[in-house]
Formats: sequence, structure tokens, C-alpha cells
Amino acid sequence: MNKRPLQEPTFLLLTALAQGPQHGYGIMADVERMSGGRVKLRAGTLYAALDRVAAEGLVEADREEVVDGRLRRYYRLTQLGGDRLAAEVERLQHNAAVAAKRLELRHRATGNLA
Amino acid sequence: MTAADGLEARYRRLLRWYPPSYRGRHEDEILGVLMAAAQPGQRRPGARESLDLLWSAQRIRIRMILRGADSQPWADALALTGVLLPLLMLLLKLTEFLYSGARYGFGTPADILVGAYGQPGAYARSFQLNPYSVALTGNVTDALTKGPLPAFFLAVLVCLGWRRAAAVLAAFLPLAFLGISLTSGYTLLAGPRGDVTLYAFALEALILLITPGIARGWRVLQWRPTILLAAATVAAGAGMNGGLWPLFNAPLVPPIGLAGRLALRGQIPHGFLGRLFGVGAGQWGDWLLYKGTLVAVIAVALIAMLAGSPVSRRVLFLLAVPFALGAVIYLCSLISPPPPASAGNALAVSPLLLFLLAAVVFWLGHGRRAGQDVPGRPAAPGDA
Repeated sequence: MNKRPLQEPTFLLLTALAQGPQHGYGIMADVERMSGGRVKLRAGTLYAALDRVAAEGLVEADREEVVDGRLRRYYRLTQLGGDRLAAEVERLQHNAAVAAKRLELRHRATGNLA
Repeated sequence: MTAADGLEARYRRLLRWYPPSYRGRHEDEILGVLMAAAQPGQRRPGARESLDLLWSAQRIRIRMILRGADSQPWADALALTGVLLPLLMLLLKLTEFLYSGARYGFGTPADILVGAYGQPGAYARSFQLNPYSVALTGNVTDALTKGPLPAFFLAVLVCLGWRRAAAVLAAFLPLAFLGISLTSGYTLLAGPRGDVTLYAFALEALILLITPGIARGWRVLQWRPTILLAAATVAAGAGMNGGLWPLFNAPLVPPIGLAGRLALRGQIPHGFLGRLFGVGAGQWGDWLLYKGTLVAVIAVALIAMLAGSPVSRRVLFLLAVPFALGAVIYLCSLISPPPPASAGNALAVSPLLLFLLAAVVFWLGHGRRAGQDVPGRPAAPGDA
């Protein structure tokens, strides 16, 4: 499996699909909500990202619906995509734990010095 | 028309930048997302939204070309260009060799090796007229750019179907030239023919790595565009070596040649165009007679290519890239006063390095995962 760290928009895109299938606009809104408004995927960027992760086998089309005369295609995470997201979560958690521990040691050291 | 209708029509116009096959699958879906994200009463796409769509469309296009999927004409054109480019380069060298050799003598093997077509003894003279190291360096760089051997070996490797070996050779040639020239203090902004050859080698290296395979190039090869390109190449080879001078000065047609020269001589004023085409004052008549005919042959062949299949048009576009870059370098070399040597070198080297960098990036990203080519030539030309 590809061990390169995921870029944040890709990570958020996969996270948006972790709970269940979503359509394009749902993913956009979810990514913005999860990132606290910091990451806003535009339609072009979203579909370029979906095209890339679909080519890598991380997501796939789930089903299609027509709502108000417009096509909605839902996407879901594949098994590979789930594994990739889990590996990334583990990597981030590990890094965060190491960073937190180092900061704690630093605080203790500076506290002792004070 | 309501605001929503107008906005939808404008979004649809922007979505035309996507590849047709992608648009067929996703246009309505993306449009739904764009309309859902639009502000109430919005009539036009925002600037950022528009740029995002245009940029993403280009990314999708490039990705499809590199994947070779859903982009049949481009994938075919890349594969075909990978096969045709070294063969056309070899044909050009062969034309120059035969055309000039027949008129002035073929010279020694060393003369042929350094591309001194029609200049017997040029190799030996260079050592008499210059210090040994200068003559040697000049001959080596000439052998890389003007000589027939690099194109010959490249064509052989392509015919054998050895894609990676051919790519390595195609990349090595411009790098070797650059290494020798820059360490010897040569100014690169000087020879358009050499520049075009180097760009062609670098482009070939890139194409060989991103193409779906040499075997596919042979499969999609067709006679009509191949003959047109061969005719244009032979005409270019003859045009660069005196044009139709032997024909119009042959004993059988002196009246035609004389009448033509008298009719056309001196009709066009000398100036920038003269410098551009290397034509002296009052020599435009001769130029039109001896070389204009060949330019017309090339133009007709290229126009026929343009009117051909989508693959032909794309092949022509790819083959035009080294010529366009060479033309830019040539135009820059006409600037008076000339730019500093460092600026000229940087200008000449940049496209080469970009080609080679793109080849390395692609190879690291995709090439190493690509399957092996089937060795040899799997299909006869023209059976596609």
C-alpha cells in the first residue's frame, strides 16, 4: 500500500466518506464543516480529487439518484480506501502522541528551571 | 431566461474544457454541485470558481493522457510520435547526406560522422585550423547534433522495441551536448538546427516514457500521414542544403531557371525577413525559386496532415514542439545587440531541462510500475 502521507483535502475527503456514502455537494459541505471552514473544496478541485482517489481505488461510485431533475452520484470508501485512511489516522495519532510527550517533557524541564 | 438558467448555461460553457468522455460521465453531476453551491440570484460563475474549473479540467486532461485511458487520440499520437520522430530525424540526415554529397562529394567517414555533409575534408581541416581540444570538442558536439549516428541508433532501438534503452539514449544525447558545451564555454544561442535536434531528442525521451508503448505506435502507424511527413522531411532536408538549385541549373531547364530568376529577383525588399530566412539583398527571387517550392511542398503536406485524422493533428502538434522552441531560440539569436551569453544559454537550456525533468518525474511516478514492452515489431506499418 502507498505509505505517503495524505494531503489534508484528500484526508478530509476520505473522512467525509468514512461514515457512509455521500454525493458531491454533501462531501463539499462535510469537508468545510469538519475543518471548521478552513478547507473549502470547490467543485473543480473536488472532482479532480475524486477522479484521482477513484483511480487509486480508494473510493468508488455507490449509486445514482435524480433530485429536482439533477443527477446525484454517491461515492463510498472502498476497503482499500478504509485501510488507507486508518493507516493515516494511526500515523497522525502517533505523531501527535510523540509531539505531545515532547511538549510535556519540555514544560517539565522549563518548570524545573523556573 | 432566469438567473439560474443563465448561470447554468455559463457553467456548461466552462465544463466544455473537460475531456468529452469525462464530461459525458460527470457533467450533470458537477453542474448539480455547482448550482447547489451557487448563491441565490447568482447570474455568473465567480472568478475563482471559473479558474478552479479550468485548472481542474486541464489536470483531468493531463491525467487521462498519462493514463492512456479515455484519451485514445492522444495516447495513439504519443505512441506514434515516439516511433516516427527518430525515423524522421534519420530520414532528414540521410537526405542531407545524399543531397549534399551528390553535389559536392561524400567525404570521409569522419566527415559523415560529424555531419559535414557535402564538405569533404571538413573533419581534418578543423584540426588544422583550430587547436586540437577546440576542434575535438566541436567535432564531438557536431556528431551529437548534426551527425547521423545518434538518430540511427535511436531509430534502431525504437525498431527493436527497446523503449527504455531508447529513452536513455534520447536523454543522454542532449545532456552530453549540454555538459560539453557549457564546460567548454560555448554559447548555446547560436544554431537553430542543433537546437531543434536537441529538443527533438529530449522530447523523444519524454514521449518514450509516457507513451503506452512502442508496439502501439507501430500498430497505429498509417501510410498516408507517414508519407506526408516523409515528403515534408525530405523537402526540408533539401531546402536546408541549397534547395532546388541543382534542378533549376540543370542543362535541361536553364530557360525556366533563368526566367524565374529574372522575374523574381529583387522583388522583395531586404530587411528583417531577409535576416530571418538568411537571404541576402536582392536574392529573394533565387530563394523563392530554389527553396520556396520546397516550403510549399512542406506546407501542403502539413495542411494535409491537419485535415487528416485527430491522431494526425496531434502528431503534427507534438512534432512541431521542437521546431517551435528552436524558432524561439533562433528569433532570440537575431536580437541586436545579442543578449548576454548566460541569458542565451539559460533560454536554450530551459526547455531541455523541463523535458528531461518531466521524463524523470513521470518515470519515478509511473514508469517503474509500467509493464514491459513486447520486444520486436509486433505489427506491420499500415495494418491499423
